[in-house]
Amino acid sequence: MEKAKINASQLFVLVVLYEMGSAILVGMGAGAGQDAWISILLGMTAGVLLFFVYYCLFLYYPDLPFTSYIQKITGKWIGRLIAILYIVYFIYGASRILRDFGELLTTTIYTSTPLFVINTLMILTIVYAIHKGFEVIARVGEIYFAVIYILAIGGFSLILFSGLIHFENILPILENGWKPVIKTFLRETFTFPFGEMIVFTMVLPFLNEPKKVKMACIGGILLSGINIAITAVINIASLGTDLFVRSNFPLLTTIGKIQLANFIERLDVLFMLYLVIGGFFKIAIYYYAAVAGAADIFNFKNQRKLGFPIGVLVLFSSVTIASSYAEHIREGLDVVTIYLHWPFQIIIPCMLLILAFFRNRKKKSSPS
Amino acid sequence: MSILSNILKKKQKKRQNDNFRQMQDPGKPDELPIHRDYKDNIARIKEEYGNSTDISYREFKFCGSRGIAVYIDGLASNTLISDFFMETVTEEVREMVTDSFQQMIDFTAGLGNVESITNWNEVHDAILVGNTVFFLDGFQKALSVETKGWEKRAISEPSTQLSIQGPKDSFTETLRTNTAQIRRRIKSPNLWIESMKLGTVTQTDIAIMYIKGIANEKIIGEVKERLNRINIDGVQASGFLEQLFEDQTWTPFPTTHHSERPDVITSHLLEGRIALVVDGTPFVVTVPALFIQFFQAPDDYYARFDISTSIRLLRILAFFIALIGPAAYIAGTTFHQEMIPTTMAIAIAAQRENVPFPAFFEALIMEVTFEILREAGLRLPRAVGQAVSIVGALVIGQAAVQAGFVSPVMVIVVSITAIANFSTPVFTMAIAARLIRFIMMGLATILGFYGIMLGIMFMTIHLCSLRSFGVPYMMPIAPFNIRNQQDVFIRFPIWAMKNRPMFISKGNVVRTGENQKPGPPKQDEDQSSQGDS
Repeated sequence: MEKAKINASQLFVLVVLYEMGSAILVGMGAGAGQDAWISILLGMTAGVLLFFVYYCLFLYYPDLPFTSYIQKITGKWIGRLIAILYIVYFIYGASRILRDFGELLTTTIYTSTPLFVINTLMILTIVYAIHKGFEVIARVGEIYFAVIYILAIGGFSLILFSGLIHFENILPILENGWKPVIKTFLRETFTFPFGEMIVFTMVLPFLNEPKKVKMACIGGILLSGINIAITAVINIASLGTDLFVRSNFPLLTTIGKIQLANFIERLDVLFMLYLVIGGFFKIAIYYYAAVAGAADIFNFKNQRKLGFPIGVLVLFSSVTIASSYAEHIREGLDVVTIYLHWPFQIIIPCMLLILAFFRNRKKKSSPS
Repeated sequence: MSILSNILKKKQKKRQNDNFRQMQDPGKPDELPIHRDYKDNIARIKEEYGNSTDISYREFKFCGSRGIAVYIDGLASNTLISDFFMETVTEEVREMVTDSFQQMIDFTAGLGNVESITNWNEVHDAILVGNTVFFLDGFQKALSVETKGWEKRAISEPSTQLSIQGPKDSFTETLRTNTAQIRRRIKSPNLWIESMKLGTVTQTDIAIMYIKGIANEKIIGEVKERLNRINIDGVQASGFLEQLFEDQTWTPFPTTHHSERPDVITSHLLEGRIALVVDGTPFVVTVPALFIQFFQAPDDYYARFDISTSIRLLRILAFFIALIGPAAYIAGTTFHQEMIPTTMAIAIAAQRENVPFPAFFEALIMEVTFEILREAGLRLPRAVGQAVSIVGALVIGQAAVQAGFVSPVMVIVVSITAIANFSTPVFTMAIAARLIRFIMMGLATILGFYGIMLGIMFMTIHLCSLRSFGVPYMMPIAPFNIRNQQDVFIRFPIWAMKNRPMFISKGNVVRTGENQKPGPPKQDEDQSSQGDS
């Protein structure tokens, strides 16, 4: 494991950037119509509860990353198998986000640039960051956290002054009852992005004050959840439910509507700025978890050596993962949530926690 | 292949070592004692210095024994020595005393610091720094008398780091003058100066200055260790030193700070930094250097805080303009036309109609032309300078536009970029922006604003990974430290700048006393307390 030390505020910032990452870009919880924000807030609450599962596991093994303590809990060989599956899952996660990100740029602004070129440049930047280590990623996070907030405040006031916000659009609340809200919550908002906190189990041992893990992570989840919900409300209020549900990237549509004094208009660049920053951190952390996990499982002393090969893997799988954007999205909604997110984010950690509980109870009772 | 290169490398190394040894000792053991006969001594000096013409010899007779004074003409003060001979040695014939050497010491004490030396090493050291060495016949020792007095430049106004309200003196090429200028500003016994010599041939004097109790002992140790590791024939200027002991070579950003202003160095020392004065350079180096330090101009502290804050923000904005100005123009005209308001887009398109180059080449031509002009302007003799600036203004201005080479907008962009680049207070940081600008232009050509953003992202990662003597380069920003934000983007009022930078001065961080906030005299206590709450 790399010898990095980060402090609680850095962890908090990374959690916020990671959770908001791509969630703000795509229309989160569109299945719930104008009640999307309710299902986001539900997802956030469930995300906090789920984090307690990860946190309890962390408390049992505060010095080890996730891939190490799986082996301690389930035994060496089964543990390794599960850990390798997790590494593959992290790589897959990174390449999915990279694909999302590349598709977004190629479909909106760079219509004639190949996806591969865009993804390559992004992954090169991330490889450089991974090469420099986790401490550097955390420091970069602090800078861009401030940048994102300045952007968000600027963007929000522009939307406000353009007179786009019509709060009557989010009414009536719960028009179709709780059913669609719960359904979207289970299928989308719970696992993406809040369940993705599983990645942070790989980096929690880096924190210099282990007592502050809870505060930093839960604070991060709450802040990002509220931000995502506010973004959803703004999107619905300015676009109307119909357009919000149909639009691929509602935030981009909203920003495109900004028009002030016939001079400030078409601020797609603002959106792209956010896109690069958010995408960067989400991919970088997924990717870092994969690198750290692989170094841990295969006993690499110098995990920098793994940075580039896994980067190439992420790049190529991001291009070959689906033949078109539609297929990519379909996979994401129908297959990934149920067959990947649910087991990897929720079922396996819960089972691990139960096993760890019994194992450690036995340990504690046997010496006395 | 690799074996071959290894052998080659080894051979080269051996040769280098041999050369190096030759330079270090010219073949004669220098620990030898001084000869009893003064004529032998003279002969030896003449032989060793190859009869160099700048060495002066003055024979004299003192208390019955003959002697000779040796010094380097130009390094030692001629008038001082002449006066001495006039007054003491030749004035009267002295009676025989038992110990004429001791007598000599007493007499020369009027000249300067006297030291009795016994071997040749010390003789060379003394002569080469401008001292006068007195050999007396019949003694196996000599006297080294401090008579340094070479021509030096007077203290003048700073020429590269100007300020409006600050002091107008600057460092000179003489080490002692420079340390004295700092000492005069910090009248505390805690200002410690340690000296060492660097350069096996040049033997350049280096002074390490810090304030004991404020500077971090660990960093002082690190500085000394790195200085001791340096093994090179000569350190001609502080720039050599900076390159020899900085943390990272592969970076365009400076990780050491230098200034020619004593007031800047003083404030750095007060923050707990360590200053290095190199003899022969009017620039004093301070470490550790942080990124934000390169945007802090001396005037920031002499003007009111609100004004200096806004000027500092302007300076940071100018740095970004210098970085991405032409790149943004390229991205805007080739990728993101829809972003530009319609009327403006039409105006730009109309101007660019006759331009034969794509935006990238248009920008590249103009930028390179400007860089050439700038570089030539530095080297030009003063007499032709004016002519070139007129020609330059024509080339990158009206004529280029009329010839249809570039569009007028491009001229504006280049000019703004160039002017913005000059607003960075420290040259080493400005030049980094100049270099990165070209990379940004390339990225903008490939991928528009997305390329620029990735470039900035890359630069941020790089900046965050840098360290200067163990301190993260982006220090109070990332890792973020709320208590050290007093002098970053916002320059707090002086009374509110309560702490020194934490990472630099460990332990001793408090600068100001309690209740430093100035206000009107407290006549009506009720009123003022109301105002406070």
